[in-house]
Amino acid sequence: MMAETRASHWAMVGITVMRVLVGWHFLYEGLAKLTADSWSAAGFMKQSRGPFAGFFRWLASDPTMLAYSDTITMWGLSIVGACLILGLFTRLASLGGIGFLMLFYLCNPPFIGYFYTIPSEGSYLIVNKNLVELAALVVIFATGSGTFAGIDRIVHGLWVRKPRLARA
Amino acid sequence: MAGEDGKDKVAPRTTEGQRKLDRRDVLMGLSTVPALGLFGYAWRKQNQVKQAAARAAVAPREAAAAGDVREVNVALLGAGAQGQVLTEAMQRIPGLRFRAVCDIWTEYNQRRVVNTLKRYGHEVNGYVDYREMLDKEPAIEAVVIATPDFWHAEHAIACMKAGKHVYCEKEMSNTLEGARNMVLAARETGKLLQIGHQRRSNPRYIHCHDKLLKEANLLGRIVTVNGQWNRAVAADLGAPDRYAIPQATLTQFGFKDMHQFRNWRWYKGLGGGPIVDLGSHQIDIYSWFLGSNPTHVTASGGLLYHDPKTHEWYDTVMVIYDYMTPAGPAKAYYQTQTTNGSQGYFETFMGDQGTLLISESELNNPGSIYRDPNAPAWDAWIQKGYIGAPVIPEAKDEEEGASGAIADVRESAAPDRHKVPVALTDPYHQPHLQNFFDAVRGKARLNCPAEVGYESAVAVLKVNEAIESNTRLAFRPEDFKVGGEA
Repeated sequence: MMAETRASHWAMVGITVMRVLVGWHFLYEGLAKLTADSWSAAGFMKQSRGPFAGFFRWLASDPTMLAYSDTITMWGLSIVGACLILGLFTRLASLGGIGFLMLFYLCNPPFIGYFYTIPSEGSYLIVNKNLVELAALVVIFATGSGTFAGIDRIVHGLWVRKPRLARA
Repeated sequence: MAGEDGKDKVAPRTTEGQRKLDRRDVLMGLSTVPALGLFGYAWRKQNQVKQAAARAAVAPREAAAAGDVREVNVALLGAGAQGQVLTEAMQRIPGLRFRAVCDIWTEYNQRRVVNTLKRYGHEVNGYVDYREMLDKEPAIEAVVIATPDFWHAEHAIACMKAGKHVYCEKEMSNTLEGARNMVLAARETGKLLQIGHQRRSNPRYIHCHDKLLKEANLLGRIVTVNGQWNRAVAADLGAPDRYAIPQATLTQFGFKDMHQFRNWRWYKGLGGGPIVDLGSHQIDIYSWFLGSNPTHVTASGGLLYHDPKTHEWYDTVMVIYDYMTPAGPAKAYYQTQTTNGSQGYFETFMGDQGTLLISESELNNPGSIYRDPNAPAWDAWIQKGYIGAPVIPEAKDEEEGASGAIADVRESAAPDRHKVPVALTDPYHQPHLQNFFDAVRGKARLNCPAEVGYESAVAVLKVNEAIESNTRLAFRPEDFKVGGEA
């Protein structure tokens, strides 16, 4: 049950605000790609470095895989974003978001000794914004903030009707 | 557990252990929905700002042309990468109405361009066969051709004979015979045929040619020219399996398989290889700026790196042209290679009074002119705005500047660098297309008519011939003429 890991009321409010912000970011990243004339992950993946560079470059070089990657990224980010904002299927959406961010992180990891020209707006050593956002999603996942404030709360009330002992 | 008062429990439970929704659950459940509404609002506002910016970019041209822009019905023949680049540029030109898009790759190229154009309010029909398009779309006035080189002649000639003006991508044709027939068809039909050497309409190139070279003669006597287009290794183009074109269609249109369809530039009989794809743009500029066609060509090239099974043309080519310019003899070097992108692409014209370094790129080598120390002062040209003030070299480059080395007195002093103060903020192909459509409306002369494109094709196609024969080949002046000129 969520309640055991749940923080205080105001902490939950804070986590919910964080969830909406992360969701907002995901949704815009997704929709911006969907509505761009010809967005593709190819450029990002071709620049890949680190232990998984081979995998990402393979994804970028195989047209069929690239087409799948592009579609999954565009729609995945949008759907995860909308779900996080609404607090709908929050835990599933958090996991999905964690998966995406993990891939983004591993594609261009800011490891020691790596020097990037992208992203151009900051300086990173091991920790970058992808990792921070990923950590935020772990918190959202752990606290299931959708059942605090989000459509999950309604879904739970309607569909999850397992008999339980009422707590004192 | 949070909420000491118990209000934050997921849901209160009945004695039967069943949950029930109360008002608080519903309110909390929907509490973040307004955030999505806020997102939608922000998204709409953002798009409005973008659209306003796009409109503002077109507005001055639209305003300038307001009133006397006659609408021109256009078709795109060949909707691949280049066709899409041209379409994007054309969407910024006022008064064009797209009517048809023809491409044999219906599932991908054709659909993509048709959908994009429909989104911008053009009612376009898609075609596989250009003949069907010409039959069914009598309203089309101009056709923009961006098919593979070996189709250019047939496509352009058929379009002109059907009464359409044609903008045809370079290389004009992969054979001189094809190019010659295109010139003749343009003459016969009286239709316009613009060849896509788009630098001919680029304001920076025009400024350099008209003002810096012809009027101010800043370079003095041009004796040598150097240029290159170096490209890093790139994977062959592919296509998702589910979008593959049926083999029967590929065969019908002259392609062995999907790989050849996507990579036709590398195949003999279809394209001309990098020297033709890349070199023709710049070799065209050599002749334009030098004011003459070459007299001889020496070339060396080979397939040094790529897989010969999928690459028939040379991946590396080095060329030397001899010119007899109105001012005297000159030699021009050009290289293209596709194994290393070092220094990108540029052209350098070297005279006894200065050097012009120019490229189409706005980022790399967008235009610098260097005054040779023995040349007369250029202050008057700076005051006129023809060139920028000399650029003061930055002193922070420790490795080069403060090396402590003692300069040899016999070494040439570094020349002053001036920027060429003309930039193109539109897509690279837009001015050339604009010139074409202005000509269609009878308000301009073509910057690269068929005859000029033909001269360029003669100079460029000869390179492959010179590599094959491994000898220095001569051009006769009449080689550059189609014959029957007035």
